[in-house]
Amino acid sequence: MLWDRKKIKSILPQREPFLFIDQVIEIEGVEKVVAVTQLSGDESFFKGHFPHKPVMPGVLLIEAMAQASIILYSIAKPKVVSTNPDYYLGKVKSEFLAPVYPGDKIVVESNAVKILDNAAITDVVAKVNDKIVAKANLVFSIQKK
Amino acid sequence: MSIEAEIREMVSEITEVPVEKLTPEADFFKDLNVDSLKAIEIVAAFEKKFRIIVPENDIPKIRNISQIVEYTKNIKKD
Repeated sequence: MLWDRKKIKSILPQREPFLFIDQVIEIEGVEKVVAVTQLSGDESFFKGHFPHKPVMPGVLLIEAMAQASIILYSIAKPKVVSTNPDYYLGKVKSEFLAPVYPGDKIVVESNAVKILDNAAITDVVAKVNDKIVAKANLVFSIQKK
Repeated sequence: MSIEAEIREMVSEITEVPVEKLTPEADFFKDLNVDSLKAIEIVAAFEKKFRIIVPENDIPKIRNISQIVEYTKNIKKD
């Protein structure tokens, strides 16, 4: 593990129950970050989505991908991140390829397409047991407070 | 297809502005309502198409189709 939850919380503004990154396990320069989310099965969203067949909502997979992308952004742009900016997801192109169930360990790989001071694009894949469960291209803006 | 036509098509797709309205001098920000997110999409598409990297400092200089075409020509000269 390269980053633990404490280090992750020093970068991500999200907090439980909306923090979807547990560990960062790989960093390749400013190009790629690999992060992990371990689902316990006790997450509140599983209670309603769905009562008899719990499946992780796709929008929350996108959120996990966005959080991994913020971590990648923080490595590429530490000076901007040190100002504690706001992050706004602007555009998402996504595909969901397989369901994610309680207990799954999600590995999220975020790859830089273009990172600037005020905006970034990443290509992200989420995998469970080495199988791709979702892909997304994210465009987000970074705004200093 | 000329480089200019290719660029106009690419910008049209991202900005959702019809190709015929994309005049060479139309300012992305003032005339075409391009925001910072669309701007980065244009730059990323441009980089992918021409297999180049546009330095962050050069991005504010590229504000219309004509400037993208000019930028491409200068890169080819280099």
